[in-house]
Amino acid sequence: MSVEKPLLEYIYSLKPKKSFSESVIAFKRLIKYHKRYIPIIILTITLSLVRTYLFVLEPLYTSQIIDEVLIGGKQDRLLEYLMLILLTGAGFAAVNFFVNYLNGLLALFIIRDIRSDYYASLQSKSFSFYDSMPVGDLVSRATTDLQAVDAFLRTWISILCNAVFSVIVFFSIMYSVSPSMTLISILPMPLIFYFTTRLWVDTMPLFRIMQLILGRLSSYIQQNIVGMKTVRIFRREKDMVEGFKKAEQKFVETAIMAGRIQSIYMPLPTAILTLSIAMVYVYATVSIFNFGAAITVGSIILFARYMMRLSFPLRDLSMLLGNWINAYAGLERIFEVIDTPVSVEDAPDAEEIIIREGSVEFQNVTFQYANGRPVLKNLSFKVNPGEKIAILGATGSGKSTLINLIPRFYDATSGRILIDGIDIRKFKLSCLRRQIGIVPQDVFLFSGTIRDNIAFGKPDASMEEVVKAAELAKIRDFIESLPDGYDTFVGERGVTLSGGQRQRITIARAILTDPKILIMDDSLSFVDAKTEHEIQTAIEEAMRGRTTFIIAQRLSTIRNADRIMVLEDGEIVEFGTHEELMARSGIYRKIYETQFLSKSETPLAEVDSE
Amino acid sequence: MSGPWRAFSAQEEERKRTVSDKVLIRRLYNYVKPFKKNLIIAIIAIILSSLTGLMAPYMHKIAIDQIIQTGELINFLWWIPLFAIVVLCNFLFQHIQIFQMRIIGENVVSAIRDEIMEKLQFISLRYFSESEIGRIISRPINDANNLRIFLRMGFTSILVDTSSILGAFIIMFMLDLELALIALSFVPLAIIIVWILGKYSRRAYRKTLSTLAGLTARMQEDISGIKIIQSFVQEERAKKRFDETQEENVKANKNALLVSSLYQPVVIMVRIIGTIIILWHGSVFVANGAITVGTLVAFIEYQFAYFMPLIDLVNVSDQYNSAMAAVERLFDLIDAKIEVVDPPPEIAVELK
Repeated sequence: MSVEKPLLEYIYSLKPKKSFSESVIAFKRLIKYHKRYIPIIILTITLSLVRTYLFVLEPLYTSQIIDEVLIGGKQDRLLEYLMLILLTGAGFAAVNFFVNYLNGLLALFIIRDIRSDYYASLQSKSFSFYDSMPVGDLVSRATTDLQAVDAFLRTWISILCNAVFSVIVFFSIMYSVSPSMTLISILPMPLIFYFTTRLWVDTMPLFRIMQLILGRLSSYIQQNIVGMKTVRIFRREKDMVEGFKKAEQKFVETAIMAGRIQSIYMPLPTAILTLSIAMVYVYATVSIFNFGAAITVGSIILFARYMMRLSFPLRDLSMLLGNWINAYAGLERIFEVIDTPVSVEDAPDAEEIIIREGSVEFQNVTFQYANGRPVLKNLSFKVNPGEKIAILGATGSGKSTLINLIPRFYDATSGRILIDGIDIRKFKLSCLRRQIGIVPQDVFLFSGTIRDNIAFGKPDASMEEVVKAAELAKIRDFIESLPDGYDTFVGERGVTLSGGQRQRITIARAILTDPKILIMDDSLSFVDAKTEHEIQTAIEEAMRGRTTFIIAQRLSTIRNADRIMVLEDGEIVEFGTHEELMARSGIYRKIYETQFLSKSETPLAEVDSE
Repeated sequence: MSGPWRAFSAQEEERKRTVSDKVLIRRLYNYVKPFKKNLIIAIIAIILSSLTGLMAPYMHKIAIDQIIQTGELINFLWWIPLFAIVVLCNFLFQHIQIFQMRIIGENVVSAIRDEIMEKLQFISLRYFSESEIGRIISRPINDANNLRIFLRMGFTSILVDTSSILGAFIIMFMLDLELALIALSFVPLAIIIVWILGKYSRRAYRKTLSTLAGLTARMQEDISGIKIIQSFVQEERAKKRFDETQEENVKANKNALLVSSLYQPVVIMVRIIGTIIILWHGSVFVANGAITVGTLVAFIEYQFAYFMPLIDLVNVSDQYNSAMAAVERLFDLIDAKIEVVDPPPEIAVELK
């Protein structure tokens, strides 16, 4: 096993990607999310226009003060101009507030809508999707990636409006003052825009890579800590640290690369702007004194200040382009999930069907994953109503797949599965699953009260039903011994329950809905003798009167089953009662005797998987 | 994944600090030592870049007073090359400063992070609860990142801003003592206003972070338990619950947005009032012949030159505080006694 290889492979695969042409589709799709908020958008655009107008006025008044008051000597007009500056300034500030607020609000709503769509799409994805997607990755799409989209949405309309309006307004005013000077003032603008665009477009993807490396390092350290035992047994400490250092090195290199780009393109536009202002000075002075042009000192200063002011919306626009690159990368990852087709769906003629008997029949069922490896090979068998089947097999023998096919978490590649003689694809998915109780391998509980968890499949269950389920699952006494009883909080911030307690709660949860068919993945292997006994009793109670499939670990469970199915490489190698299988000197007998002789309760199925 | 952890460090930020800044900075300096040369170059570049940056408005004043108004075009012959040199030097020094500071910052943080990683290998963690493990994990990643951001932006801004502000003040006082005093009279008020508003907006921001952490936790749990949700056909209920969590998040964000949208307009207003004060008094001075038009224009430009750095500095103080808190926690972990040392693997026994 190599602990650091996946991390390094991932980190070295990160390449800055920046293609505007490819992002058009994602942009169009993002625009669609704006439709609901057209009034906000119209208001934002209108206010942006007002803002630009007010933004232009202050330098204009300053230049008039210089020309009329300072040089022209009209002292009485000073107060008037200062009042105008104050008023337009206040107006500008107020409008600015509303534009920022509205734009932020828009981003907030759209991010919510996208996240909601994303979440809804996750709800309908089938198990095969989750098999290939780590939870952390799915969560980070809705958080880290959406944050990048948020950064773009928060400013994009106001920056775009501001840039467009500013260029128009500033140039029309400058043109009306002096067309030739305007021409000189325009010259540096494309350069400034080009260099700031380079700055953001080149560095933003690098920042994203840095963020991704940090995210990956977090989970790497977490694994390292949680898996500390394994790491130490195999003496991989050195490799772990080396892997970390290599990833770290890549991070530092990327950061310094970004620093190099920033160190050039960040100060460059200012230098260009300052030099061009000097150019305007020289040009204006020469035209005044050599050609007698009618340019006032105030208007020269006005030009200088306008050039400065115009450079800001252009720089913002460049930053927006950089933000878009990251937003696009994030959107792509979100849409990728939303667009993943659902592989298990209701058939058009699906119906609500009630399971009356609970017989289950597999007819030539084959299942293989997308990559073609067959997991179940042409399985056929029939289980009678109320029969208890223990399934035995090594890891990879197909036992989990087999039980997952019954509630249609996966669909068989070929063959049919019948319940009460009806093809399960005739059932509505929700109807089928509601009638099958499942105790999964993972003893996962949601954060909430114990009652919430037991009544998870039937939120409106009465207290009597909850208590009865807890009773059957042999967890009632324990729950009632807790100070808060059924209202005890479990989950991340609640009380810590042992694996055995959790398992019994999951059993209670499954039987509360009173399913006709029960599927149990009993993988809890290491518990003390008392818990072992209690779980055994709970399982037996749960199975009573239901058709049950149980992936069994315990000898007692297996012996108590009506029939035992032994799977090997996706095929049924033995299927019969304990006595029948013992009579054949096959795998089952071999395992049983090994276990029996060693007098240990080491779980059978795990023998060759450890 | 960083969501909940970020919330952890937000909580920890509230915790009282025990080690003085001086001790922490001295210790931090040990990591900077190998980059002493870079640091010296960077500091020199920072001072020179602020100085050359401040010369530009002064050069404008010379142009207005001695060339544009008098028409002595011959002066452009020395003015243009001098101005070009000032601008190019400014560019060069800024380039050196940004780049050198980046090299120092990234290397220092990575050295600390590596040290912690090695340390983590030898700390016995079986006595820590899960939530504590989460906090420990947050250290090499989040705390180191806080420090990184501070070294990259905060530390540089402190140097750059302080030298720009001081430089601008000195030049303004040299240009005209009285107008400089008037122009600076409103600075304390501006600082107080910006500081108070900044505090509110940071508080609001922190609240959004914690609701985001809640949203992330909900998502994490629902995706982890998706197979159970589907098994029990509870998709609709889960979606409803998620939407409620989202609405809470939207609500917290709306409030934060209100505060943060106020920030920029208030800063703008404060600055405009400053400009008006300068223009009001300055015009009288120009009429009296106490100052030239060029000086007045230079004052307005210098107001820009010190005002934005001043605002920056007020904000950096917060960055500084959280960086110091992060550094303290990082050193805490480095200093943690290894209470239970695992025996070497050769003789270690795994109990099941």
